[in-house]
Formats: sequence, structure tokens, C-alpha cells
Amino acid sequence: MDDRVLLFDGIGQDFPSPGQRSQIRVLDGISFEAARGKFIAVIGPSGCGKSTLLQMAAGLLLPTRGAVHHRGRKVTSINTEVGFVPQQAQLLPWKTLGENVELPLVLRGVPAQERQKRVDDVLRSVGLTGFEQHFPSQLSGGMQKRGSIARTLVYRPDVILMDEPFGALDAQTRMVMQSDLQTLSMEAGATVIFVTHDITEAVLLADNVVVLSQRPSRLLANIPIDLSRPRNMFEPFKNPGFAAAYDAVWTEFRSQLQAGQIH
Amino acid sequence: MREVAPRSSLASAGGGLGAIGEKALQWLVKLLPGVALLIFWQWASGRLIKEIYVSKPTAVVARLYELFSSGEIYPHLWITGQELVLGYVIGVAGGVLAGYSLGRSSRLARIFEPYVMAFYGIPKIALAPLFIIWFGIGIGSKVALASIMVFFLVFYNVFAGVRSVDRELVNLTLIMGANQRQLTYHVFLPAAAPFVMLGMRLAIPYSVIGVIVGEFTSSVQGLGLFIHEASSTYDPAGVFAGIVILLGFVTVANLIAGAIERRLLRWRTLSGSGPIDA
Ligand SMILES: Nc1ncnc2c1ncn2[C@@H]1O[C@H](COP(=O)(O)OP(=O)(O)OP(=O)(O)O)[C@@H](O)[C@H]1O
Ligand SMILES: [Mg+2]
Repeated sequence: MDDRVLLFDGIGQDFPSPGQRSQIRVLDGISFEAARGKFIAVIGPSGCGKSTLLQMAAGLLLPTRGAVHHRGRKVTSINTEVGFVPQQAQLLPWKTLGENVELPLVLRGVPAQERQKRVDDVLRSVGLTGFEQHFPSQLSGGMQKRGSIARTLVYRPDVILMDEPFGALDAQTRMVMQSDLQTLSMEAGATVIFVTHDITEAVLLADNVVVLSQRPSRLLANIPIDLSRPRNMFEPFKNPGFAAAYDAVWTEFRSQLQAGQIH
Repeated sequence: MREVAPRSSLASAGGGLGAIGEKALQWLVKLLPGVALLIFWQWASGRLIKEIYVSKPTAVVARLYELFSSGEIYPHLWITGQELVLGYVIGVAGGVLAGYSLGRSSRLARIFEPYVMAFYGIPKIALAPLFIIWFGIGIGSKVALASIMVFFLVFYNVFAGVRSVDRELVNLTLIMGANQRQLTYHVFLPAAAPFVMLGMRLAIPYSVIGVIVGEFTSSVQGLGLFIHEASSTYDPAGVFAGIVILLGFVTVANLIAGAIERRLLRWRTLSGSGPIDA
């Protein structure tokens, strides 16, 4: 069986630019793949089209050229077999944490008894047991983020798309969340596409780091990160080989910072 | 690193005698200006202003008692009550339905929004004489006037509410596996609920205005007619008695709306994300 769960095949995207007749080319021939259970980090300058790539994998947007294949099937409509963790937690404010996490199971017609068990399990694994009755506004930003991740894990999608999920968190919470995410994704065996701006985060979490260039964005490099797991998220340089891996990614990334203005 | 289980979750539900005393005090402070106004009115009537112009609280109460004990007011109450309830319900139902469908479908919105906005600008009161011609001097014309005033308020709020739903939230719910019906139930309706409630609240006084203006214009029975007749026969106590009854209507309606709102929007009250009383 094909081990490639998600395949980006020659993706190109043009967007109409407001007030002009011409289109702007955002993505230009991006190809990479995610094998089963692998953690892929995508980094690139702001505005290069990282979020756009995730939207394509989720079936929210059809690429102008090329296609995304999910387990051999071309993605042409909303892809309900992926999970999506956005930058803001985006829990539904009118539902309690418990109801929020239960929602995907309700939508998928999972029987009530099993729902309860799965919600309990996943809340325990993200450390939110006891907060089922809280509304999102009664939770801290970090807790909302955990809730958002739990809501995705609960229906066990085989690909999880994460768009700068920890961007809005403070440094400490962020390290804790990174460490937890490493554990959770290893346990769940899910394939993860993780968009970030942060090279350290990318190197620490990923099996592969995909580096994109400035707009119109091309794939600069796809760098394997062979650090042993579990990795120490709190003291990056204590991981043997971290410095070299960081350097490899930074070398690619740096060329982009010099090449143009930062948006 | 794991969060510990919560202590008592919300700010401890205010209990104890102290809290009750505080509540009573609050009520007292709220009542004070009203009572002061009544006392001033009573005192000023006949002293500063002729009683024939402003009547006085005791006379109004006496008139109210008379109206209810003789049964004179009941037919008026019954008619006006019907007009209010019908006008309000029809207006709200229409407003929610139209606002929701236009909010959900950008194609419908593109076609109809300019029309709705144009009609929104017409002072509906000006339609009263026309409605009398169209729907007769019975309750039909008043229901029509009230419901059209209510409709636009509710429509506009619901439309804006549905439009304001975060696109990302919708996309996420679709990815989680929602079909259109589930999307409506789990996302659009709850998101629009605060706006629906706001529209419904604002619409209460407007339904009263619609009905009373309709009755002023031309009618055979109703509180508006009663007030109109009282004022043309120099019976200020009667006018104020009619107004007090209308006030009662509005207060009861507001209380009901408030109760529904608290139930429906529990998540907002709990979150303390700003006042819901607009
Ligand atoms: N619907 C759209 N219509 C027109 N242009 C769009 C649309 N969506 C995205 N773009 C453009 O595509 C480019 C890439 O957007 P995208 O959100 O994917 O960037 P990104 O890499 O995620 O950036 P960031 O790191 O800042 O989140 C931007 O220049 C943006 O203006
Ligand atoms: Mg982005």
C-alpha cells in the first residue's frame, strides 16, 4: 500500500489582486509529501502562501494548478478526513468545552455512549479533565488551544493540519504545548502538517522541514531532521545534532530574509 | 504542566443575607427616582400647573380602578392585545426568516438587499392611512402596521448577525463533518441568537407605536382609540390611565424577552463578554 498519506503535487495558485486586472502568483509549483505518521513542518516568509496550502489540503480551496492527493484520492471538495487546528483556538463560544470537543462526533453520528468515553479520554490526554462545563471564555488561551487540539484528536483524522497553532501563546506555554504535541502526535500516530514562522519550533517538532521562498513561492528545500525522539523542547541545544539541523534550515531561510522585505 | 481541576467554577453564586440586603437596596435606589417623580407630580398638579392639563397620580389610579371595575376597558384591551401579539409575532417571524435566508445566501442578498434598505428608510408611520384603506378600520390594518415596523428591525439585526459569523468557524465545522442542516443548528443559529434577541427587544416598543398610531388614525375599538377619545374630551386622567396600561404591556413583554434571552444566551452572560442589554 502507498505510504504517502498526503501529497502536494505541483501546486500553483494565482489570486486576483484587488484593483488590478492581473493576478498575483502566490504559489508556484510546490511539491512535497507526507508519509504515514510523519510530522512535516512548513516554514516560509509571511504571505508566501502557507495557510493557502493548508486550505487546499482541507478542500476549502482548489489550486489553480496541480492537485493535493489524500490517500491517493484527489481533494476536490471539503475534506472531512483531515483535522484542522487554526491559529486562534476557534472553539464555538456558545458551547461548553465538553460540547465543543464532542461536536465532531455528534456531526459524524457517533453513538452517545461512545462519544462520552472518547471525549473523556481525549480531555484527559490534553490535561483538561474537570473543565467540561466551562465555556471557552472561561478558559485561558493555552487551555483553549488544548481544547482546539482535543476537538481534532477526538475524531482521529489521519492527517492533522495546524496553522501556526502556538503563535499567539507566551513562550512558556508554548514550550509546554510543543512538548505535549510531540507526545500526542506520537501516541496518535497521526500525520501532521505544521505551519510555523519559528525555525526552532520547526526543527524540534518535525521529521521534515519544508522551506518556502518569498512570493511567488517555490519550494526551497525539504530538509529531513534526524534527531532522536522524544526531543527536549525546553532546552533545544541539549538535543544532540540540534545545532546542525537548525543551521541547515537557517541557511535556506536566511537567503529569503536577504532577498526581500519582510511583510 | 497539566491544569488542575477547577475550584468552585464561576464567581461564587452570591448567597447569604448580605447579598439579599444588597439586592433590596439596589431595588430601592432604582425605585427612588420614580417615586420622587410621582410625588412631585402629585404636589405640582393644581399648584404649578392646572390639573385639567396634567391630572394627578391619585386621579389616574382612581380612573384605572373605575375602568377595570366597570369593565369598560376590557374590549379595548382585548383588541389592542390581539393586534400587538399578532403584529409582533408576524413581524418577528418574517424578519427572522427573511434575515436568515438573505444572510446565508449572498446571491439572494445581492438581489434583495438594496430593496430592503430602501424600504427600511421609509417612515412606516406614514403608511398608516394607506393601510387603513387597504386593510380596513378593523384589526387588520393595525397588525399590518405593527408587523411591518417589527419586521424591518428584526430583519436588519438577523441579517447582520448571520453575516457576521466568522468564515473560519464555518469552514472548521464543515471539516469536522457538518452538513448544511447541522451547520445551521450548531453554528448559524446560535451565532445569530444575540442579534435575534436584540432585534426582538428593540421591536417591542415599535409594535406598540405601530398599533397605537393605527388606532389613532382610524379604528372602532382599542386602547389607542380610548386614549384619543379621552384626550378629545379633556380627560387627562383617562389619557394617563391608557398610557399606564400600555406601559404594563411593554414591561411584561420586556420581562418575557429578558427571561428568554437569559436562557438562550447563557454563554454570554456567563462569559461577561459585555452587557447584553443593548
Ligand atoms: N482569497 C484570497 N484572495 C486574494 N488573495 C489571497 C487570498 N487568500 C490569500 N491571498 C494572498 O495570498 C498570499 C498568501 O496568503 P497566506 O495566508 O497563505 O500566507 P501565509 O504564508 O499563511 O502568511 P502568514 O505567515 O502571514 O500567515 C497573500 O499575499 C494573500 O494576500
Ligand atoms: Mg498564514
